Amino acid sequence: MTRKTKNDDFPHKADVVIVGGGINGCALAYQLAKRHVDVVLCEKKYLCYGATGRCGAGIRQQWSTRENTELAIRSVKMFEKLEKELKMDIGLRQGGYLIIIHDKKEMRQAEKNVAMQKSLGLNVSILDVDEIQDIVPILDTKGINAIGASFCPTDGHADPFKTTHAYAYAAAQHGAKLYKFTEILGIKKKNNLIDHVVTTRGNIKTNTVINAAGAWSKKIAEMVGVKLPNMPFRKEILVTERIKPLFKAMVISFKDGIYFSQQDEGQILGGIPIPEEKPGYITTPTFTFLHHMAKTLTHYAPSLRHVKVIRQWTGYYDVTPDARPILGETKGIKGFIQCNGFSGHGFMLSPMVTKILSDYIIDGKTPPILEKLNLSRFDDKKIKREISVVG
Amino acid sequence: MRITRHPILEFDRGRKILFYFNDKKVEGFEGESIASALHASGVRVLSYSLRYHRPRGFFCGIGKCSSCFMTVDGVPNVRTCITPIRENMRVRRQDGGVGELSDKRFAARKKMVVDDEIVVVGGGPAGMMAALAAAKQGASVTLIDENHRVGGQLIKQTHKFFGSLEEKAGKRGIEIAEELMKQINSVPGIHLILSTTVVGCYNNNTEDGGDRYRLVAVRRFMDGDQLLDVFCKRIVFACGAMENMLAFPGNDLPGVYGAGGVQTLMNVYGVRPGDRVLMVGAGNVGLIVSYQLLQAGVEVDRVVEVLPRITGYHVHAAKLRRCGVPIYTSHSIKEAYGSDRVEGAVVVEVDKNYAPVSGTEENVSCDTICLAVGLTPSVRLLEQMGVKTEFIPEAGGYVAVHDQSMQTSLNGVYVAGDASGIEEASTAMIEGQLAGVSAAASLGYDRGANELISRCRNALRIFRSGPFGEIPRRGKEKIAYLFDKMGKKIWGDSEL
Ligand SMILES: Cc1cc2nc3c(=O)[nH]c(=O)nc-3n(C[C@H](O)[C@H](O)[C@H](O)COP(=O)(O)OP(=O)(O)OC[C@H]3O[C@@H](n4cnc5c(N)ncnc54)[C@H](O)[C@@H]3O)c2cc1C
Ligand SMILES: Cc1cc2nc3c(=O)[nH]c(=O)nc-3n(C[C@H](O)[C@H](O)[C@H](O)COP(=O)(O)OP(=O)(O)OC[C@H]3O[C@@H](n4cnc5c(N)ncnc54)[C@H](O)[C@@H]3O)c2cc1C
Repeated sequence: MTRKTKNDDFPHKADVVIVGGGINGCALAYQLAKRHVDVVLCEKKYLCYGATGRCGAGIRQQWSTRENTELAIRSVKMFEKLEKELKMDIGLRQGGYLIIIHDKKEMRQAEKNVAMQKSLGLNVSILDVDEIQDIVPILDTKGINAIGASFCPTDGHADPFKTTHAYAYAAAQHGAKLYKFTEILGIKKKNNLIDHVVTTRGNIKTNTVINAAGAWSKKIAEMVGVKLPNMPFRKEILVTERIKPLFKAMVISFKDGIYFSQQDEGQILGGIPIPEEKPGYITTPTFTFLHHMAKTLTHYAPSLRHVKVIRQWTGYYDVTPDARPILGETKGIKGFIQCNGFSGHGFMLSPMVTKILSDYIIDGKTPPILEKLNLSRFDDKKIKREISVVG
Repeated sequence: MRITRHPILEFDRGRKILFYFNDKKVEGFEGESIASALHASGVRVLSYSLRYHRPRGFFCGIGKCSSCFMTVDGVPNVRTCITPIRENMRVRRQDGGVGELSDKRFAARKKMVVDDEIVVVGGGPAGMMAALAAAKQGASVTLIDENHRVGGQLIKQTHKFFGSLEEKAGKRGIEIAEELMKQINSVPGIHLILSTTVVGCYNNNTEDGGDRYRLVAVRRFMDGDQLLDVFCKRIVFACGAMENMLAFPGNDLPGVYGAGGVQTLMNVYGVRPGDRVLMVGAGNVGLIVSYQLLQAGVEVDRVVEVLPRITGYHVHAAKLRRCGVPIYTSHSIKEAYGSDRVEGAVVVEVDKNYAPVSGTEENVSCDTICLAVGLTPSVRLLEQMGVKTEFIPEAGGYVAVHDQSMQTSLNGVYVAGDASGIEEASTAMIEGQLAGVSAAASLGYDRGANELISRCRNALRIFRSGPFGEIPRRGKEKIAYLFDKMGKKIWGDSEL
């Protein structure tokens, strides 16, 4: 249901309007407001309603493409200082990511990745089976045919709700205006320039709109006739009851697609893709997932058979053809800025991505990464795909 | 703490059973829950909160909250309020609030597949009537409840019910439950599965293109659990409601209970919750439970009610007043205090806007605080399936939008009783009957189905036309309006 509410405080104009109150929208609001930009954020439901509030919130720097690795490394540096900067707890915990290697082929790819990651200064190494066991004692390394694993101790996890709200709160402290339950209904142009946005609470005059609407970004772009190649995919995840902490690392496998970790308070959280998932706006959870996840999880860690699942839910991955985000200005429409297409890794990249975008908006800085991740890369048929993905 | 003399109830306590609490021997009676046996032995602290390690005690008594989680025979996080005691059982408080991973052999019971025409989730008055009505039409029904007996909230209601369905007026809740239980056991076509919790519901229509729904349930056995994989064509959700909490300092101290939890302790297990009670809320539940506390030999200091008037039935209030229990309207609880259990409370007057009036604070000496501040419908399973829900304050919170036959936005999925909007056992029974007959009729069974459907609708209309039916009536009108607005479209799977 959409409803127009008369609200006298609602702004009539802004330097920048951000669509979406997930981690990316809120971090953008903070970065811009900190530098005195007059920014308004509109969220159609509540903060964290989208993928952010439903995600695993893992933070990983071990990627196969240089761009993702670089963004992730720089984001982790920011995550490490975020509590101090935003003056709020973000629930950061660095227990490492343990990426299981099952066969020779995976080993070759891992060696290649690790070499590239090391060249970017990352502390990462390949472990043997005994070393894996030390990090996650409950893993059945034989059962899953682990021949090794790559491990980066500074990878980890942060609380997505706390982090988003910390950004939002700090943004508001710097003068950003954040409106919840306020939907963007349209974006109007005048002479190929953005003129104003139409919301459920009134119009806002602006020349700059940032599209940080997650899986709904495609719909926002359509409002100005821009076609994004992004597709929404339902992704499922579950959490178990709490048990005494047993391990700190996030365990993932590209072969099986599984990821799981234990939270500080004892729950095991994890997910796995289900076969033949089709794109679409579908949110109901499936039995197929529950079954597949329970089976795979207890295959990895048989003692978890005793642990009860207490909840399963879904969220969307906003998936681009190369599993990499779309960032920056849109060709042909000045002031329409993309910050979406994050697939399964938009939380961990958010600190750096939003910093780069705000520097671009304020100073016009265009680092190479912004060029590489521009929407225009899809004009070109050859695309370089990120292959280190799970979930 | 055990009640020995009671004007209405006779506690036929079974065999004595010995078990261990933190390695100390404790005594209880067969058929009793762990939490009740511990309470009767004076154990008030059952667990500790995770973050601040605050003591937590018995609260809801129906397995809906987490304050009674303990480790039982090596298995962590057992809901001790709905787990019966056994000889030599080892019960422990969980150190730091969390249990340890069990190192027991995994009792791998093979999963059981159930395939039936209709499944009813919840065996309270609504669910029992739904199962009976559908079976009487000729359908085959599976009735699942997580307790070890059917009856829902009825099994603790010792007071006489008011007129509604003519035949049930003047009976006590416990008698109605007995009667329905007998019928459930005698009517052919009902398969009863107890001690089983439905934990997941899936819309198989979208999952594998079939025309069936799939439920996942967990059945508890002495030595472990069993997974039930349930398929059916129609579902009736009659899973009742959860008690509301109130925010005030000290609200998590052992000794602060939900009214339903208090009722369960004293009327089902014959255990007094404490010696002196402060009752919060003067709706029917607050008034009735206060009277039942007196019957159990517990003192009731007073009843406080935040509204400027008593909202429950006059007779219940009058009975309390005759026994000398004052009812303070425009009053609420400000805080509860005590070190590891309730030692007293502070009540305060409120103004027109429900804000506390400073200077009116009064100390109440009590060891028990009972919250009777309303219920919230249990709709989580419905939401999981993708049934359309809406927030309807008059119905107690989010409820499934449903039509006149109790069918929700999903074809073949019905709802009844408190789960469809907080009301009463009387209407829950009629709604259950309506849902059960409608589900059976939609499968082609017809033994006077239409006539029964219109009788039920009429009965609901009459019941809700009285002054006390006004709030639920307004709630149901809103629900009907929203259903019509949906344009009979079956929502199925769509964006949230
Ligand atoms: C199951 C799952 C697990 C994941 N695990 C991880 C992980 O471990 N690590 C990681 O880094 N990432 C993970 N992700 C991905 C990550 O969650 C997302 O990439 C990230 O949260 C995206 O944030 P966002 O702010 O860009 O978008 P979102 O959080 O989706 O926010 C977009 C917001 O836009 C709002 N919106 C939409 N349309 C409008 C409109 N018209 N007007 C106003 N507002 C609108 C929405 O309501 C929404 O709140 C996971 C995702 C899922 C689903
Ligand atoms: C103190 C008090 C006094 C009352 N007095 C009266 C009165 O005088 N007259 C009157 O008409 N009404 C009265 N009521 C109201 C009445 O008890 C309820 O409205 C009625 O019990 C609702 O019936 P129900 O079948 O919808 O739910 P319930 O009786 O709550 O039954 C629901 C059942 O479903 C089970 N269940 C729930 N979830 C699951 C699951 N996932 N899997 C398996 N099983 C599940 C529950 O364990 C429970 O057994 C009173 C209520 C209270 C608390």
